Amino acid sequence: MVDTTKNTKLFTTYGVKTSKAISTEIAAKLISKAKRPLFVVGTGVLDPEVLDRAVKIAKAKNIPIAATGSSMIGFVDKGVNAKYINLHALGFYLTDPNWPGLDGNGNYDTIILLGHKKYYINQVLSATKNFSDVKAISIDKSYIQNATMSFGNLSRADHIAALDEVIDLL
Amino acid sequence: MSKLTTGSFSIEDLESVQITINNIVGAAKEVAKEAKEVKEELGPMGPTPFPSIATLRDWSFTLFDRYEPVYTPMCDQCCYCTFGPCNLEGNKRGACGIDMKGQAAREFFLRCLTGCACHSAHGRHLLDHIIDLFGEDMPINMGASNVIAPNIQLVTGRQPKTLGELKPIMEYVEEEVGQLLATVHAGQEAAAIDYDNKAMMAGYLDHVGMEVSDIAQVTALGFPKSDPEAPLVEVGMGTIDASKPVIIAIGHNVAGVTYIMDYMEDNGLTDKMEIGGLCCTAFDMTRYKREDRKAPYAKIVGTISKELKIVRSGIPDVIVLDEQCVRADLVEEGKKLKIPIIASNEKIMYGLPDRTNDDVDAIVKDLVSGTIPGCVMLDYEKLGELVPKVAQAMAPIREAEGLSAIPTDDEMKALVSKCAECGECALACPEELAIPAAIAAAKGEDYSALEELHDLCVGCRRCEQVCNKEIPVLSLIEKAAQKAIAEEKGFVRAGRGQVSDPEIRAEGLNLVMGTTPGVIAIIGCSNFPAGTKDVYNIAEEFLNRNYIVAVSGCSAMDIGMYKDADGKTLYERFPGRFERGNIFNTGSCVSNAHISATCHKVAGIFAGRNLSGNLAEIADYSLNRIGAVGLAWGAYSQKAAAIGTGCNIYGIPAIVGPHSGKYRRALIAKTYDDSKWKLYDSRNGSELAIPPSPEFLLTTAETWQEACVMLAKNCIRVSDNNMGRSIKLTHWLEISEKYLGVLPDDWWKFVRSEADLPLAKREMLLKMLESEHGWEIDWKKKKIISGPSIKFDVSSQPTNLKRLCKEA
Repeated sequence: MVDTTKNTKLFTTYGVKTSKAISTEIAAKLISKAKRPLFVVGTGVLDPEVLDRAVKIAKAKNIPIAATGSSMIGFVDKGVNAKYINLHALGFYLTDPNWPGLDGNGNYDTIILLGHKKYYINQVLSATKNFSDVKAISIDKSYIQNATMSFGNLSRADHIAALDEVIDLL
Repeated sequence: MSKLTTGSFSIEDLESVQITINNIVGAAKEVAKEAKEVKEELGPMGPTPFPSIATLRDWSFTLFDRYEPVYTPMCDQCCYCTFGPCNLEGNKRGACGIDMKGQAAREFFLRCLTGCACHSAHGRHLLDHIIDLFGEDMPINMGASNVIAPNIQLVTGRQPKTLGELKPIMEYVEEEVGQLLATVHAGQEAAAIDYDNKAMMAGYLDHVGMEVSDIAQVTALGFPKSDPEAPLVEVGMGTIDASKPVIIAIGHNVAGVTYIMDYMEDNGLTDKMEIGGLCCTAFDMTRYKREDRKAPYAKIVGTISKELKIVRSGIPDVIVLDEQCVRADLVEEGKKLKIPIIASNEKIMYGLPDRTNDDVDAIVKDLVSGTIPGCVMLDYEKLGELVPKVAQAMAPIREAEGLSAIPTDDEMKALVSKCAECGECALACPEELAIPAAIAAAKGEDYSALEELHDLCVGCRRCEQVCNKEIPVLSLIEKAAQKAIAEEKGFVRAGRGQVSDPEIRAEGLNLVMGTTPGVIAIIGCSNFPAGTKDVYNIAEEFLNRNYIVAVSGCSAMDIGMYKDADGKTLYERFPGRFERGNIFNTGSCVSNAHISATCHKVAGIFAGRNLSGNLAEIADYSLNRIGAVGLAWGAYSQKAAAIGTGCNIYGIPAIVGPHSGKYRRALIAKTYDDSKWKLYDSRNGSELAIPPSPEFLLTTAETWQEACVMLAKNCIRVSDNNMGRSIKLTHWLEISEKYLGVLPDDWWKFVRSEADLPLAKREMLLKMLESEHGWEIDWKKKKIISGPSIKFDVSSQPTNLKRLCKEA
C-alpha cells in the first residue's frame, strides 16, 4: 500500500484549518459511500496515465464528471458521463443549495478532486470550505489544504499507484 | 477694492477694521453666468458627475443582483487589528464583528484601491512634471478625436481641453481615494456588498487616473496619437547588444528616462549605447518622440518575469528604476555583479543614499569605485547625464571582469551534482514546475528539461530561497536556456494611444450588431500559468476569426515574442486599426484607459448617448450591446485588479488566469436562474428575456484553451442581429469543438430563430433542437416553428435601468 498520508508539508498556509490526510482505503470508502458525488477533474488529467485512472474511477461507481478547464477533450468517447464546467463557477454553484447540478437533480454532497493546479483548486475550495457543507476529497498528487480530506504530497509513481489502489478498492 | 466674483481674499495685519458686504447680487449673477457658459460648453449633463461612494451604489447593486460576489478567501484569519488574529473560518465573525465575506471583500477592495492609488499617483507625478515643463495652457492633443477624455467625461462630466484642466480631475480622484481608504479602518464598513461597491468605485477612479496619466504624456512627450501605424519596436532578451554599454530602465513612469534619452541624443550616443526597458517604462520609452513613426532605438526586454533574468545575465551596466512592478531585491542582486542601481522616483528609494544635490561626476566616481551600490537621483537633468556616464564607465570594467551570474560549464556540472532532489523547490514554486526532475536530468548532461523551464518560470526565485544546498536554481535555468534567450527577438507595435472618433464611427454598427464578433482585450501582467505563449495563442485564434484584438502592457510584449512559419509576428501580420481582424496596442499600463474608453466612445459617438456624468447608462449600454471581453491572463498586481474592476462597473466582463483567484472575489452569474436573465425594453418598460451572456463580470479560467471558449461565448450580446448571432455562435461552437472536443451544452439557449444558426451546421443543429429540446421544426422551410424562450426584436431597447424606460 502507498502511504498517502505521510507528507502534508505546505509552502504557505491558508489559515487555521487543514485537510485531513487520508489513505487510499479511506478515500475509496468515502467515494463509495457518497450519496451524490461529483468527480471534479482538472486539465492535469490529460496526462494519459492519469486519464486512464480517472475514467476507471468514474466508471467504477458511475460517478458523473465535471470536466473543468480543458479536460473535457480527454473524456470524449470514453463512455463516461462528463460535462464541461468552469471550476470557479462550479465552486460558487456548490455553495448554492438551489443549484440543480449538472444533471438537473440538485446539488452534490461530495466532490472528488483530481488533475488540478494546487493553487487554483485551493483557492476555489476556500469558497466551499467556508460557505458550504460539501465534502471535498482530493486524490491529487499534491496535498490540498482546503479540501476536507486529501492525499499528502506524492511522487508521480506513488500517485499513480495510489490511484490504482483506490480503483481496486471501489 | 477690485470686483470680487468667486474665490477668496485675505487682509493681513489689520486690526479693528469693519468690513461691510454691500451687495453680492452682481457677483452671484456673474457666477451663474459663468456656470451657464460652462454648462453650455459641456452639453447635457448626466445624473452622476463627480460621484462619491454612495452615488453609483444603485448601479453596482444592480450588477451584483445578477453577477453575485463570489468570495474565495486567501486566509481563514483576519490579522488587521489588535483584537485579532481572529479565525473567521466557516463565515464566523471576528472580535470586531466582521464576518469572513466582509473581510474577503475588504481585502479585495483594498487591492483595487491600491492599484487605483498607484496609477493615480503616477498620473499626479507625470501631470505636475509635464505642467512644469509645458505649462497649464498646453492644449490636450490625443489625435483625430473630439471625445478626448472619455473616462474623465463619463465619471466627472468634465471635458478637459488643456493640461491645466486635468488638475481638478486629479484632485477629485485623490480626495475620493482618501475617502475610500478611510473605510478600510477597523470599525468602519463591514458589509461585504458595500466593500464590493467601493471596489467598483476604486475601479472607475483607476480608469480616470490612468487616463490623466496617458493624456499628459501622449500630449506633451511626442507619443503616437491614435496612430494605427505606430512604429514596430524590438522586443525580447535577445535584442540587447551586450557589446555596447547597456542601460536598463525598470518600472512604469517614463518621466526621468526621457532625460536619459535626450542626453543620449544630444551627445550622439544612441548608436554607441543600448537602452532597454522592462515593464511599462519600456513601452513609453519607445513611444517617446515617435509620433513621426521613426523606428525607436530604445528596446523592450520584457516583463517583470524577466527582471532577475536580465540582471543575472550580467548584461546591464547600470539599472535605473522609477516606480511600480520593480523587484525588491534588485539592489542586492545588482551588488553581486557590480551593476549600479539608480532610483529616480520617491516611491522607490530602496535605502539608497540620496545624491540628488551632488555633483554628477562625483556620483559617477563613487558608483564606479563601488563606494555606493547605487543612489537616489530625483533631479532629472542630472539623472539624464548620470546614467549614460555610469554605463560608459562601468561597461569596460564589467567586461574585463566578465561579470555574470550564469555559471560556466564546469560550475553548472558542480551545481547540479549538489542537488539532493529533496523537492523543496517544487513545493515552493508558484508555477508547480518540475524542477527536481529537470535538475536530475541535468546530472546526466541532459539540459533540455531545464531549458524548457525558462519560459514557464516567472523568475521569482522562491526555489532558491528554500534550497538547502543553496543552489542558484534560476541561474541554472538561464544557463540551460542561453540559446533560447539569445533567440528571443520579436516585434511589438509601439502604443498608439486612443482609438479615434472616425474609427468608432466606422466600426460601431458592426460591433453592436455583432457582425464584428467582438473585441478581445488582452492586457496585464506576466504571471501566466503555462508560459508566455498562451497570450500569443489566444490573440492568434481570435485574429484569424476576425475579432478585434486590443492589447496593452506586458501582454502586448509577450504576444510579440512569437513568430509564424514565415518569421512574422502578429503585429507584422495584422494591421493596427480598431477594425475587425486587427490588433491594436494602446500602449503601457495606463493606456488601458483607452480600451475601456473605446466602449464609452461607441456608446457616445456611434449611439449618440450622452457621456457626461452618465456612467450607469453608458455601462448599461456596453453590457447589453458591445461584445467586448477583457483577458488579464497573467494578472498579478493590485493595478490589474483595479483595471478589471473598473471594466466591470463599466459593463465590460473580464477573465483572469488561474493565479488570479487569489484576488479573493469574483462576480459570477447563476446561469441556471432564469429570474436573473431579464432586462427592460425601454420603449415601454416591458420585460425582455435574455440569453445568459455575459455569464460573469470577473472570473478565472484554468487554461488558455478554456479561456478561448469563454471569450467567444461571452462576446454574445442581446443586441446581436441574426447575422451577428450566427457569426458569434459559429465561432463559439467551433472553438468549443476544437479545444473541448464537444459542442457547448447550452448553445441552444442563444437561438431566437433559424437565422441565428451557423450556416455550416444549420441542419444538424435544427435536428438537435427537435430531438434534444423538443422544438418544432418546419422541415420543408427549415424554419423553427416553436421552442425559443428568447425573441429577437430589432427595435427593442434593452436596459437594466428602469429609469430609462418611457413610462418610468
